[in-house]
Amino acid sequence: MLLWFITPVPLTGWQQLGLLLPLCLAVSIVYKTTKLENLREVPLAAIVTWITIVVGMFAVGVGLYLLHRLVA
Amino acid sequence: MVIAAVASWVLPGLGHLLIGERTRGIIFIVVVTLTFWTGVAIGGVKNTVSPADRTLWFAGQICAGGHSLLALACGAAVGTPQETGRHPAMLIGYGRTEEVSVVYTAIAGMLNILIILDVLVRAERRSLPMAAGPPPGPDAKRRPRTG
Repeated sequence: MLLWFITPVPLTGWQQLGLLLPLCLAVSIVYKTTKLENLREVPLAAIVTWITIVVGMFAVGVGLYLLHRLVA
Repeated sequence: MVIAAVASWVLPGLGHLLIGERTRGIIFIVVVTLTFWTGVAIGGVKNTVSPADRTLWFAGQICAGGHSLLALACGAAVGTPQETGRHPAMLIGYGRTEEVSVVYTAIAGMLNILIILDVLVRAERRSLPMAAGPPPGPDAKRRPRTG
């Protein structure tokens, strides 16, 4: 098990993008846990924030890609 | 209050446990620990937390406190590729691997700043005298004092 933390994992481009999802989930869980007083509301609020972040970043990515296509 | 903040730096979420926010503290401990050590598992403990190679990223990573210090100690204990006789790629992450691991660990540290600020606010709120009731209104001076 210690070897997991010693040997790096080679990543492909899609794996790199896929690892964005759990990172955004962690950010949204921590953010919503600090904001909400009632912890029962955290799961739903965190999922909504997670989807908002992912969709927002995807939209920004598509927008920048289209801008790049127009300019280049 | 300061003790809770320092405890949160040492182990993210520990400050919340100390002030009695048990569930919140456990959520923080689990999420930040998973985020940080997922990053270390992706990039390898040798190169992910490296103050010499990535000073600015390390400024973010050190905010995760005990996790980053433990990762530093483990990285030093592993040794260099020359010492271990391993191929450098077996110990050091390059390219995408390096990017993802550093971002994961630095964001875990940034999240801990949010957690430390949260524990400071909650500890201060708890230290305020809540049982004394609302503050006196404008007619408080007119009331005759008794006793």
